[in-house]
Amino acid sequence: MSDPKSRKTLVEEGTQFKGSLSSDCPIEVKGRIEGDLSAPALAVSPSGAVHGRIKVGEIRSQGELAGEFDADVVQLSGVVRDSTIIRAKSLEVKLAPPNGKMQVIFGECELEVGSEHAEKGTTTRAQSARPAADGAAPAPAPAPEDGSPPVEANGAN
Amino acid sequence: MPELTADVVLRKIKAGEKVERADLRGLAMPKAVLEGVSFRRCDLDGANFEGARLSRALFKNASLREAFLAGAELREANLESADLEGANLQGANLAGANLSRANLEGANLQGANLVGARLTHAQLESAKLGGASLVGAQLSHAILAEADLSTAKLDEADLTNADLTGANLEEASLVRAKLRDAQLKDANLKNANLTDADVPALAPPKTASDGALKRYFGKGDVLRNAHLEFNEGASVEIESLFEQCTIALGHATELVIGKAGVLSGCQVKGAGKITVHGKFVERESPGIVGATQLVVTAGGSLVGAVEQPSELTRFAFEPGCMLRMKIHARKDRPSEQRVGRVGRQR
Repeated sequence: MSDPKSRKTLVEEGTQFKGSLSSDCPIEVKGRIEGDLSAPALAVSPSGAVHGRIKVGEIRSQGELAGEFDADVVQLSGVVRDSTIIRAKSLEVKLAPPNGKMQVIFGECELEVGSEHAEKGTTTRAQSARPAADGAAPAPAPAPEDGSPPVEANGAN
Repeated sequence: MPELTADVVLRKIKAGEKVERADLRGLAMPKAVLEGVSFRRCDLDGANFEGARLSRALFKNASLREAFLAGAELREANLESADLEGANLQGANLAGANLSRANLEGANLQGANLVGARLTHAQLESAKLGGASLVGAQLSHAILAEADLSTAKLDEADLTNADLTGANLEEASLVRAKLRDAQLKDANLKNANLTDADVPALAPPKTASDGALKRYFGKGDVLRNAHLEFNEGASVEIESLFEQCTIALGHATELVIGKAGVLSGCQVKGAGKITVHGKFVERESPGIVGATQLVVTAGGSLVGAVEQPSELTRFAFEPGCMLRMKIHARKDRPSEQRVGRVGRQR
């Protein structure tokens, strides 16, 4: 059995996952996840995308985020799509160089960051994400298309 | 009783005799024509010159305590070092007059015309200057503590080093006024117009490394309902409390809200670079419109909405900042552009 500290759940590039995913080890997303997700940590690579309701201890994203995110610590770059809510005790976004590419692109979104959020608890969720500006539905957790029960993956790959 | 009566004074003047240093207390010469006459060092306490024509008259070192000069024509008169404590100069025309080092403590200058007047080092403590016109007046080092300057026009006035502690400047116009090193503690600036005013206020202006003039608003000062505009390339640092203010930033203007700075109920517009070490709370949503860069550092807090410009805002947030924030793309920007990736094609 592998060292639990070195384990992680990997959603590889080219892989699309829809449904609920709960893991007791960190999740790394190079592909695409749509749905509910809970884990101690989530890393989204530049090729990765995570859409849905996410509750994790830590997020490090260089990819695309959409939906509702509750976390203690968030490090952001990449893209935050419309109708996204990020709640965190701590958020870090680094400043892009003046003539370089943008560190992060924010669509229409909400940020709730800081001590007051911590007092309220990270379990407080918005009732629903606001409708997207282009009229599209927000990105909550969609049910698996085939009606199968939520998938739980631990230590895959 | 005065040493000389009004008739005697008039006769002397017509005869070309001097009336300097005379005891003329309580002299009554309303509406008299006394243009260019010298009352140098005269004692004119309680004298009545209501509506008198005193253009270019000389009152240097004269005592005019409690004198009644309402509506008097004193254009270009010399009142240097005169004692006008408690005098009534309501509606008087003092345009171009020299009041340097004059004592006007508690004087009534409501509605007076003081355009271009020299008031350097003048004592105007508790003076009533409501509605007065002081456009282009020289008030450097003047003492205006507790003075009432409500609705006064102070456009382009030089208030360098003036003491405005506790002064009432409500609805005063201070367009392009110079307030460098002026004391503004507890001054009421509600609805005052400070457009293009030089208000490094409580610290001398510093020149930034790029040569831009740095404007500094120090701790302990309060600006309410003010509208401020900063030209392209300026550098602005705020350690004060701004309430219900609107700030327009020119292109590439840097606005730094220092650790002690609080912008409460404010709105900032324009293509500037904003750094928040202190607190920003919006009034109208969005509270920040068109900023090209927005940085909130550890310990900084921002409550409000940000409307990004078409080229998008460069954001940076440090761990330890507090945000209750909505981010909007510009309304006329297509949705696809709003959420498009940068530096990578999907």
